[in-house]
Amino acid sequence: MTHLLNVRDLRTWFHTDRGIVRSVDGISFTLERGEVMGLVGESGSGKSITGFSLIGLIDRPGRIEDGSSIRFDGRELVGMEERQLRRIRGKDISMVFQDPMMTLNPVVKIIDQIGMAIRAHEPASDAEVRRRAVEALARVRIVDPAHKVDQYPHEFSGGMRQRVAIAIALLHRPRLVIADEPTTALDVSVQAEILKEVKSLVAEMGTSLIWISHDLATVSSIADSIAVMRRGKIVEAGPVRRVLETPEHPYTQGLLDALPSRSRPGELLASNATEAAGKMDFSGLGGAAIGAPPDPAFVEARGVDKIFLAQAGALRRFAIRCGLARPPVPVRAVSSASLTIARGEILGLVGESGSGKSTLGRILCGITPPTDGRVTVGGAPVMDGNRKHGTKVQMIFQDPFASLDPRRTIFQSVAEGPVVHGFCTRGEARAYVDRWLRAVAFDPALADRYPHQFSGGQRQRIAIARALAMQPEVIICDEPVASLDVSIQAQVINLLMELRRHLNLTLLFISHDLSVVHHLCDRVIVMRHGEIIEEGSAAQIFGAPKEAYTRMLLEAIPRPGFDIARVPGI
Amino acid sequence: MSEARPLQSVSPLAAFWRDFRRNRVAVVALAVVVAIILLAVFAPFVVPQDPYDLKSLVLRDARRPPGYVGRDGMLHLLGTDSQGRDLLSAIVYGLRISLEMGLMAGAIAFAIGAVVGCSAAYLGGRIEALIMRIVDVQLSFPAILLAFVVAAILGQGKGQLILALVFAQYAYFVRTAHGAAAAERQKDYVQAALSVPMGGWFVITRHILPNSLPPLIVVATVQVASAISLEATLSFLGVGLPATEPSLGMLIANGFQYLMSGRYWIAIYPGVALIVLIMAINLTGDQIRDQLNPRLRK
Amino acid sequence: MASFIIRRLGQALVVLLVMSMLVFAGVFVIGNPVDVLISPDATQEIRRQVIAQYGLDLPLWDQYLHFLRRLLSGDLGTSFVFNMQVGTLIAQKLPATLELTLIAVLFASAVGVPLGIYAGYRPDSIAARVIMAVSVLGFSVPTFWIGLMLIMVFAVQLGILPAGGRGETRTLFGVPFSFLTADGWAHLILPALNLSLFKMSMMCRLAASGTREVMLTDTIKFARAAGISEATILRRHVLKLISIPLVTVFGLELGSTLAFALVTETIFSWPGLGKLIVDSITSLDRPVMVAYLMLVSALFVVINLCVDLAYVVLDPRLRHGRR
Repeated sequence: MTHLLNVRDLRTWFHTDRGIVRSVDGISFTLERGEVMGLVGESGSGKSITGFSLIGLIDRPGRIEDGSSIRFDGRELVGMEERQLRRIRGKDISMVFQDPMMTLNPVVKIIDQIGMAIRAHEPASDAEVRRRAVEALARVRIVDPAHKVDQYPHEFSGGMRQRVAIAIALLHRPRLVIADEPTTALDVSVQAEILKEVKSLVAEMGTSLIWISHDLATVSSIADSIAVMRRGKIVEAGPVRRVLETPEHPYTQGLLDALPSRSRPGELLASNATEAAGKMDFSGLGGAAIGAPPDPAFVEARGVDKIFLAQAGALRRFAIRCGLARPPVPVRAVSSASLTIARGEILGLVGESGSGKSTLGRILCGITPPTDGRVTVGGAPVMDGNRKHGTKVQMIFQDPFASLDPRRTIFQSVAEGPVVHGFCTRGEARAYVDRWLRAVAFDPALADRYPHQFSGGQRQRIAIARALAMQPEVIICDEPVASLDVSIQAQVINLLMELRRHLNLTLLFISHDLSVVHHLCDRVIVMRHGEIIEEGSAAQIFGAPKEAYTRMLLEAIPRPGFDIARVPGI
Repeated sequence: MSEARPLQSVSPLAAFWRDFRRNRVAVVALAVVVAIILLAVFAPFVVPQDPYDLKSLVLRDARRPPGYVGRDGMLHLLGTDSQGRDLLSAIVYGLRISLEMGLMAGAIAFAIGAVVGCSAAYLGGRIEALIMRIVDVQLSFPAILLAFVVAAILGQGKGQLILALVFAQYAYFVRTAHGAAAAERQKDYVQAALSVPMGGWFVITRHILPNSLPPLIVVATVQVASAISLEATLSFLGVGLPATEPSLGMLIANGFQYLMSGRYWIAIYPGVALIVLIMAINLTGDQIRDQLNPRLRK
Repeated sequence: MASFIIRRLGQALVVLLVMSMLVFAGVFVIGNPVDVLISPDATQEIRRQVIAQYGLDLPLWDQYLHFLRRLLSGDLGTSFVFNMQVGTLIAQKLPATLELTLIAVLFASAVGVPLGIYAGYRPDSIAARVIMAVSVLGFSVPTFWIGLMLIMVFAVQLGILPAGGRGETRTLFGVPFSFLTADGWAHLILPALNLSLFKMSMMCRLAASGTREVMLTDTIKFARAAGISEATILRRHVLKLISIPLVTVFGLELGSTLAFALVTETIFSWPGLGKLIVDSITSLDRPVMVAYLMLVSALFVVINLCVDLAYVVLDPRLRHGRR
């Protein structure tokens, strides 16, 4: 019997004005009926383009080059006529995309979107469409499907929308489903549920699945086989257990080593990127916290509340007074949160989206004034009314592409704070900035360049240098590694650990990624719906969580079907 | 594996120009705009005749077709107008006035928009709501109507006309600047600067304003083009510039009455000059806008 | 939903009130209204009488209230030039302008939107490039100049269409319209074309850029991945997605076309409101100016209200109170 899918020498190139970009450059693999394959790679590896190539949806200027072959169930897809391809799409091969907020049409009812997908391949009466739509939603465990089909996407949460997208992909019981990072944009707990459901659905239908992801842990929990991509090529492929236990290619090995879940907490992670960036140079740095006496409550927040209230215009307020309009509903982002951080400690702040963790971080940093409560650092309040007081607390942000001003050079960005606040004069700025850039292993010779010329990891290091140059005692890190590839993530984690050790920094590390928090943090706080629900040492939280919610979060961490951490030789 | 190291410092502006150059139409359009500006600035040294110098006008040379050689032996390449003026010279001087009006009005509206819009976005709260409400209401009225009414109330004159144009257009700049600045204000780099903390004025001038400029520049191209068109329209309707400042609109209005009698050139050539100018500005602006549109990028 | 409409209505009233103040300030405070209302050769006695009659001896806020009261009672004053009630005068001219404007906007949308969708759907095709190039031209050429060219070509050179006037009209619901007779159409076609060319380019460019952006979204990619045909995607996805910005522009352009009508009407001697206002401004016929401005303000407020309501119909996110 032939393979369901046989890809030979697939090359998808983008012929841009600036030359050819070989996004996928000669990959070959096979997929059997019912097999689940994980396609893993870091950003830019070509894994998503591979998925789109299989379903024939490459946008110009991209093109599948001559000589490539994709045989699906014995038929050649490369060079097939668009009309015939369309008959296969959605019926035999379907696809689930990354961001469920973007895939469904916001102005078309769910039932109509499902109806279009049904009628694309077979005629169906309205009653038939309704019956099948309800059935499809029920299959992906949407509660009350008969009522929900008549709603619009915005009435669904992110996880529910992704379920709808999966339901559409499975409508015609396809033989192959391509899932492009379908859980990346979702919260951990939702991610775990969807992962489980997709796994059982494809098993039940006998559908083959290609699961594209940057996350080795997720892939290993669902896939039978795995292919690792890098720069358009598959560097290693094989059964998932074999690849993870005895990786043959140094790149795969490197990816595995960079995973925090595979090292002992607090140890430096093995990271190619760290070696490539060169040594961190801590010579000549000043730091207010070095040699400071211990203080168990160095950072202290007491009863912090934050309520967001929509502004009502004059007319609206008048209408409210007359009872014609409802007053705006206050949103309680943080309610009576109290916490302490000891000097030199790393405190992890964990929660899902909407838990209020970022808002609390901003309040601690003095960017957002709390509605009620007070925050002190070393006994002094962080804010003075609505203004931030002092520079002891600095912040590092999630998205390295947004956290640097695109119109200012690296030097300008790092230097502006220290110059204004008198850490150095304008004349000394050059040498001063160089010292801090060297501390994050960034070559000062590149300081006159602009942010767009650097990678995400480099930019995040620059952002750290900018925070450090203010000689803070506390740094609030708001998901600083969430948008970075694993190897870069390992590098930034290592950097934070080294900096803490050398400069006696106190860190608040906000993250949704529990394995990173486990690795890095001394103590952990869990937030939900704006409240702190559990607090304890890392060992306590990860070893013996008290709250059911915390346990659920921990169980949701994707794990392979076997324990790779205990495999000898790693 | 070593980290990729960019060899040179490429400023965002340089990167922008590199992409801009790829569109040949836009490069030509930009060249035309620059050429017209140069032509307007150096008008006295370029044209064969000073159209303001009444002594050099010969009434018997009036309304002559293109290619006519005047009594003083001067070639009128585009013919002459109703007063015997060389049409080419009149057009170049008309361009000068049209450009002056458009650029002045655009620059003032730009400045008002940038300052008011950015400040509103930075300050937020009631002030922002009030400013934006006023702007929204004004935007629901078409620019031509506002300009027409204001010009009619203020009366003829350069200053009055610029004021009318600014009044008709500033709201577009305010809204654009506000939209851009509000988006920038939410971005992490502004939050980072505020968390240092840097002062509000510093953050507005060093971070928010420079990053809000690109969409403002796009609006500026559209608005300067439309200001030039508006000025011509108002002058044509008789509420724009006085007869002593013969802009392109006025030249066309003067030619209107001769159109029926077949002396087409008096109205057509100034119109062609006007269209070339406006179109060149619009094409340049189009390319800038496409390049800045994140939704068209992959 | 209901509160949304009530809120919009409230805002509309506030806007109208503010406009009335501005118009009052613009027309009555700037310049001396006495000079305008009374002929210079009137006697002192008549002068005093008129001043008292119009309440010009009262404090400013009182005068404004008088003005407002007259406005609300529909008494818009008497035109100096035409020597007739302004209300009647405007009622006579309004149908001609509305007819011209509506036909121009409908024509602009019917031609511009499909062309724009095509140009945005296949942006690299030759036809799309031609469409976009022509639309830039149409966007750049001043309306009044196009009008002149149309007259020159069709009325002067070819002599197939009349250069001005409204032609033969037929009465519908007691109002004369040109579009009911062949001669009326012949008179209507040039001004309507003139007025619509700029709008057509606008709608075309907007539809093109909207379509181009929508085509690159994951929504469309996902629909294609489901095997849905291109025709269905265009009709059911793209059209619905771009209709929201298009309706906004349609509303705004309806208003702006109404204003631009003053240019076209002047050129084609179309006996509508635009011509009336241009004439009244040049002859300083203030009561007509006031009435025109208030009427146009009211029209714009109504149009904007309709656009807001159309949003609610088109965008389910608004309908469910998420703003």
